[in-house]
Amino acid sequence: MSAMLLNKEKWPEFIGKLAGKNLWAPQAEGDAMHFAQVKEGETPGLDFGNTRVPPKKFIFPQTETMYRFQLGGTNIEEPVIDDEVVVLGIRPCDARANKIIEKLFKWDVDDPYFLARQEKVTLIGLTCTEPGLNCFCPSVGGGPASTDGLDILITDLGENYYLEALTNKGEKLLGEAGDLMVEDKGDGAKAKEKLVAAAEKKINRTVDTKGIPEGLPGLWEDPLWKRVSASCLGCGTCTYLCPTCHCFDIQDEIEGFDARRCRMWDSCMFEEYTLHTSGHNPRPTRRERTRNRINHKYNYYVDKFDVIACVGCGRCINLCPVNIDIVEILRQVKEAL
Amino acid sequence: MDIEQLRKIASEVVARDDVKCLIGWKKGSYGYRIAPAFVEDTEETADLIFSPLCTANLATYLTLVEKLPVPRGQEPDTRKVALMVKGCDSRAVTQLIVEKGISREDVVVIGCPCPGVVDAKLLAEKYPETEEAAEVKWNGDGFLLIRGGEEIKIARDEVLAEKCRLCRYPNPVISDLMLGEPVKPWDVPEDSGVVEIEEKSIQERWSYWLEEFDKCIRCYSCRNVCPLCYCQDCILDRLNPTWINRAVNFSENTAYNISRAFHLAGRCIECGECERVCPANIPLGKLNRKLAREVREKYGFEPGIDPEGEPFQASYKPDDPEDFIL
Ligand code: SF4
Ligand code: SF4
Ligand code: SF4
Ligand code: SF4
Ligand code: SF4
Repeated sequence: MSAMLLNKEKWPEFIGKLAGKNLWAPQAEGDAMHFAQVKEGETPGLDFGNTRVPPKKFIFPQTETMYRFQLGGTNIEEPVIDDEVVVLGIRPCDARANKIIEKLFKWDVDDPYFLARQEKVTLIGLTCTEPGLNCFCPSVGGGPASTDGLDILITDLGENYYLEALTNKGEKLLGEAGDLMVEDKGDGAKAKEKLVAAAEKKINRTVDTKGIPEGLPGLWEDPLWKRVSASCLGCGTCTYLCPTCHCFDIQDEIEGFDARRCRMWDSCMFEEYTLHTSGHNPRPTRRERTRNRINHKYNYYVDKFDVIACVGCGRCINLCPVNIDIVEILRQVKEAL
Repeated sequence: MDIEQLRKIASEVVARDDVKCLIGWKKGSYGYRIAPAFVEDTEETADLIFSPLCTANLATYLTLVEKLPVPRGQEPDTRKVALMVKGCDSRAVTQLIVEKGISREDVVVIGCPCPGVVDAKLLAEKYPETEEAAEVKWNGDGFLLIRGGEEIKIARDEVLAEKCRLCRYPNPVISDLMLGEPVKPWDVPEDSGVVEIEEKSIQERWSYWLEEFDKCIRCYSCRNVCPLCYCQDCILDRLNPTWINRAVNFSENTAYNISRAFHLAGRCIECGECERVCPANIPLGKLNRKLAREVREKYGFEPGIDPEGEPFQASYKPDDPEDFIL
C-alpha cells in the first residue's frame, strides 16, 4: 500500500477531487464539532477536536427503516442502501469502534443493513496529534494513530499531509488524486512516528484492564455498583454518544395508512430497556443498569468476541451531566478485585 | 462560603435518626467537574463543598428514586432526605411540594444563599481544563480559580451562567437550615433573555428552532435531569398508543421538545439544568424562559415560590375573562 505526501496548498484541490462524492467531514456547530455533508465549493479543515456525536451513524444510523408497508396491504417495500459515502476526518478510535461492533452484526446472522452500509463507506482517518483530556485509547488496545477499520489515514505533518492507503478502497481513492501528491521516501513516515509518540505521551488517563473481564462476574453484588450509580440520571447520553454502543429497538411507526418498521438506537440506561410485558424488570434500578453498561463493554463482549467494547474515546466522561466517569469506575472495579 | 460551617451542619444532619442521607456536592474526577455526593455518615461530610462550580440542581434526586419492592416482613425506609439547595434549586423543592410530588416532611432543606454559579463550558473555553480537579471560589464581585498552585481572578460577567444573570431568587425560598447569610439580589433584565427571539418574525423563529431541534438526539437527558419532569408514566415512553415516535427526525424532535416545554409552563423554575446537560447544545433555556415569562406576565404567576401556593396548570378561576389562550 502506498504512502504519499500532499502539500497543504493542494488541500483544496484534493477536496475538489472528492467533491463529486458524497463527502462528510467534521464542521463546527456552536462549541461542538459534528459530521456534516460537504457542499460544493466548501473546503473542510482538519484542525479540530473529535466530534460530539460519533460517526457510527454512517453504518448504524440512529433510525433505520427496515421496510415500508401499507396498513391493510401485503406488499413490503425494502429500502435500497446504495449511497456511497466518504467520511473524512474520522478519528482512529471511532473507526476501530466500527470494527468492534461489526463482530456483533456478523454474529449468528449477517445484518444486511449494517453490512450494506459498511460496504458503501470509505473512511479517511486523521491521526490525533492533540488527544483530548479524557482520551484513553492506548489502555484499550487502540492509539492515536490506530489504523483498524480505516481505508486511509492522514497525519498532519505541518507543511504536508502524510497519507497512507490501508485498503484497496483507500488505494483506489488515493489513486484518483495521485497527481496532487508525491510518494513518501521515508521522511514522512519518520515525522509521523515522532508525532504519534508525542501524542501518546499527552494522554494522561489510563485504565489497567488486566484482570477486569475475568474479575467482573465476581463483583456482581459488590457495593461499588450502588456507589457509582447513585447519581446517575438514567439518560441516554453516555450510550448514544458512545461509538461502540450498538443496542437497538425495533418499532412500527404508522402515519395514516403509511407504515414502516424501523430500528433505532436504544440505551441500556433507559428504564424501559429490559422491562417485560408483565411489568417485571430484571434491571429494576440504575444500579443494575450501570453494572450492565460496564459489564457489557468489559466482560460480556470480551467473553464473546475477545475484544473490549470500549475504545477509550472519552465521550461518556466528557458529557455525563453528573460526572460518572468510566475511568474512575474501572479504577474502583480494579480496587475491588 | 464557610466550608467548616457546611461540614458541621451536614454532620449534625446525617447523624439524625430520621435522616436517611444528605445529597450535596463534592469535587469531581477532573477539571471543573463536580459530582453529586450521597452522604450517609459523618465521615463522608468531609467531601462536601459549596462553590461556584456547584451548578447541578440536586432536587431532581428527590423524585428519581427507584424503589424496589420491600421484602415481606421488612418495613420501607421512610426516613427523610437532606438536600443542599441554591435559590433556584429551592424553588424546585417548593414546586414539588405544591404539586404534591413530595411532602414537606420528606425533606430537610439546607439552604445555600447563592451569589451565582459559573458556566463550566464558558470557563473551560477561557481557561482550558486540566486533569487536575480545580477549585473555584467566590471572590468579592468575581471568582477565583485555583489550580496547580496558581490563583486566577476572573470577573463575574466573564463566566457567570446565563441563568444566574437572569436569577430573581438567589436566596433559598424555603429552608430548614441556612448556610451563611442571605445574598443581596441583583438587577435582572425583565425580558428573561428572550427578547432577541421574540423580535424575530414568525418565519425566522420557525427556522431558528428548526435548526435547533434538528440537532436533538433524543437522549432525554433534559427530561431526566429536570426536577419537575417526574411523571411515572411519561408519554415519551408509551408505546401503545405511541404519542411521539422513537424515530429521530425534525418532526418527532419538535413534537418532543414542544410537549416538554408546554408541560413545564408555569412549573419550570429556570434552574437551567436542561440546557446545561444537552449534548446537542440546544438553547432549551430560551424556550422555557419564554413560557415562564408568558405565564408571569399574563397570569401573574411564578412557580416554586410559595409552598402553600396553587399549581398553575391545575388551577381554574370561574371569572377568567378568557380573552386569550396560552
Ligand atoms: S452515566 Fe451519566 S450519561 Fe450515563 S445515563 Fe447516567 S447520568 Fe446519563
Ligand atoms: S464507553 Fe465511553 S470511552 Fe468507551 S468508547 Fe464508549 S463513550 Fe468512549
Ligand atoms: S439561578 Fe440563582 S440561585 Fe440558581 S445558581 Fe444561579 S444565582 Fe444561584
Ligand atoms: S438533552 Fe438535548 S439532545 Fe437530549 S433529548 Fe434533550 S434536547 Fe434532545
Ligand atoms: S425545564 Fe429546565 S430550567 Fe426548567 S426546571 Fe426543568 S431543568 Fe430546570
